[in-house]
Amino acid sequence: MVAVKAYELRNKNKAELLKILDEQKQELASLRVQKVAGGSASKLHQIGLARKNIARTLTVINQTQREQLRLFYQKKKYIPLDLRVKKTRAMRRALTPFEKKLKTQKQQKKENHFPLRKYAVKA
Amino acid sequence: PKSKAAAAKKAALKGVHGKSVRKVRTSAHFHLPKTLRLSRKPKYARKSVPHLPRMDQYRVVRNPLNTETAMKKIEEHNTLTFIVDVKANKHQIKDAVKRLYDVEALKVNTLIRPDGKKKAYVRLTADVDALDVANKVKRILVIYIDTN
Repeated sequence: MVAVKAYELRNKNKAELLKILDEQKQELASLRVQKVAGGSASKLHQIGLARKNIARTLTVINQTQREQLRLFYQKKKYIPLDLRVKKTRAMRRALTPFEKKLKTQKQQKKENHFPLRKYAVKA
Repeated sequence: PKSKAAAAKKAALKGVHGKSVRKVRTSAHFHLPKTLRLSRKPKYARKSVPHLPRMDQYRVVRNPLNTETAMKKIEEHNTLTFIVDVKANKHQIKDAVKRLYDVEALKVNTLIRPDGKKKAYVRLTADVDALDVANKVKRILVIYIDTN
């Protein structure tokens, strides 16, 4: 069994990828039948390879899909929740850097009039 | 001047104390009034893309059984036995068998084995021979081996 290569898959379009995925699943199904019917050790080894092939195809499908979606939503105001930054719940609700650096006018004036002075000792 | 005249006209027509009309209640019970129900117009999809079908035919049917009792069932009762995903129900099994092997199932009986796997007895319609289907499955194997 050939191991599909991910970089080859990335050139394909969605319909082809889905077809490849279907074929891989059929191979896996037939291998499972052989396992029950007492397959040779080499055939049983192929099962692992088939599973990973399916995983690779699915990864490529999902990765390209999400990448395209991110491009699509780049300029938009609202983006789907699973494309948003995950971080942690608390960090998402924390003040933004802009909000953190806001100062009252009173404080701004104080800082302007009484900045931190630097002194040097004359040697 | 014009507004004064309009106000005077209104007062003359409607009277100075506006009367509110009471609704006629024909029933002694108060029921929930029908309000406006708007349909959803989401500003963004919550999930970016809907998932591929999770319970596709390859997931439902795992492998056919070829034990002695299974063979007996094929020959005598025209049924195939499969090990099937535990989460699959009879409708899904029937559909999956149809997609995989192109056969119609008359009925599906399921049980959960003591080792936690689900076994499905799929009785095929009279116009199909279970023995042929079983051999065909093996033939599909052969084709795949050849392409490799």
